[in-house]
Amino acid sequence: MRGDRLRFWMLVLPGAAFLVVFLVLPLLSIVVFSFWRTESYQLIREWNIDNYATLISDKTYLRFLMRSLVMAGIVSLVSLAYAWPVALFIARHGGRYKLVLLLLTSAPFLTGEVLRVTALQQILGPIGIINMALQNFGMESVEALMYSSTASGIGLTYLWVPFMVLAIYLSLLNFDFDLLEVAKVNGAKPWRAFIEVTWPLNRAGTAIGIVLVFIPTLASSVTSQFLGGPDGALFGNILSHQFGATGTWAFGSAMGVVLFAISLAVIGIVWRAIGDFRRSGITIKGLEG
Amino acid sequence: MTINMSRIVQTLILITLYVFLYAPILYVVYVSFQENSVWPFPPALTGQHYESLWDQDVYRAGLENSLTIGVGTGVIASLLATMAAIAVLRYRIRGRAMVAALFLAPLFVSHVLIGISSLIFNKSLLGLPGNVGSAILANATYATAFAFLVVLAQLARYDWRLDEAAMVFGATPSVTFFQVTLPLIWPAVFGAFIVSFLLAFNNLEISFYNLGATPTLPTLAWGELRHGISEELYALAALINFAVFLLLGVLYVLLRTGFLKIDYRVE
Repeated sequence: MRGDRLRFWMLVLPGAAFLVVFLVLPLLSIVVFSFWRTESYQLIREWNIDNYATLISDKTYLRFLMRSLVMAGIVSLVSLAYAWPVALFIARHGGRYKLVLLLLTSAPFLTGEVLRVTALQQILGPIGIINMALQNFGMESVEALMYSSTASGIGLTYLWVPFMVLAIYLSLLNFDFDLLEVAKVNGAKPWRAFIEVTWPLNRAGTAIGIVLVFIPTLASSVTSQFLGGPDGALFGNILSHQFGATGTWAFGSAMGVVLFAISLAVIGIVWRAIGDFRRSGITIKGLEG
Repeated sequence: MTINMSRIVQTLILITLYVFLYAPILYVVYVSFQENSVWPFPPALTGQHYESLWDQDVYRAGLENSLTIGVGTGVIASLLATMAAIAVLRYRIRGRAMVAALFLAPLFVSHVLIGISSLIFNKSLLGLPGNVGSAILANATYATAFAFLVVLAQLARYDWRLDEAAMVFGATPSVTFFQVTLPLIWPAVFGAFIVSFLLAFNNLEISFYNLGATPTLPTLAWGELRHGISEELYALAALINFAVFLLLGVLYVLLRTGFLKIDYRVE
């Protein structure tokens, strides 16, 4: 119906225009700015590829990027292993407490990154409770927990694991658990039923979860700044530096573009590898077809 | 037997996740009431950290700015997201999958990128200075995606025949919306508002780049953290955690009762 189409676009357009102007265009603009240069905090329109040349030739940046990639990979995998049983339990055995149990996993996320890192520093840092307790009982403190990449990794998992639980849970919500009974009747052991039924039918949720954890971890700076110590700096720390003390916005834009390009590539790779809408149970009710 | 085992294992993992998530929060709350914040054992209760937090005007200014950013973002995001979610669920039009993808896209962009790109774009092309307004606009992109998700999940069970019935009996579209749709879906809209309010209120990385020199609670906390933790920060963290959980509690009650209402009227 013509009227429906008109009403649809009238409802959608304000938000779509807003997102295009304040999200899509800014993201595209940093691609342009990354080919300019900066002089005393001013962007100057002189087209060049020096920013990218520096990023490639200076091994420091590559090293930080690799470190961030490894960190994001590990944190995603740990979150994945952690979130699956949790989401499975809530979806299957949560009963009428499903919503409470899920909200309890997501609630800390809404208190913000800084406060969560503050809280973690109280636990993991050199004067954190773990090391203070060890000292008080006359034991060696655990170096790995103080200002190290391990501490950053724990912190990043702490920050983003709620996303993984949420994504897998939403997928499991539309999963028909009776299928497992069918598998059982046909003689499949529980782990076999999981590998052949539950996992493949919820791959889209898993893929979305991985991407939702990987992308912010790859770009993270606050966590490593406060938990990672002097050798724990990540790509995000160097990136935010370009917009702080040094004021090299054009170079920072190039770093941002690299980050964005990698994020898109990861979305593509993860999707091809495990996501697959057709075979998966993830649908938002009312949105299918 | 084996199924029971796996259920026990899953329960244990769920419990360890809750401990992992909540131990740091509870410990911060505990420390915020202790005289000695480094080794607060045996406990020695005090309210002095809260007093010194209260005495610092900069935190009051930060609270005001954070509230402004939260409310501004919440209003924009819940409004835009509700309109889009209604459109996507109600009208089976070609292109709605694309629209849904656009509204969810901000979830897949890291905060730093939203922060720096809107900083540069607003300053160089739109001529907007760094202030609370710019921070609201930048936060609202990300928050809209969350709000969209919340409304979509809630309205998936809404029966649009109710609206059609109202129209058949002669109600205009706006009367239908305000007298039929909104009274039924407002818990979902309010939920979207709370979630986007909290995201923006507590956001550091998007706000920071767009604020100029304006302080908010997260940027103040971040500044404190850089100079070694001061004890007011524990009090601040405890208060904000308390407020977040209070709001989520309200939200939960609303979602529950809101759901019941929708189901009851339809069936």
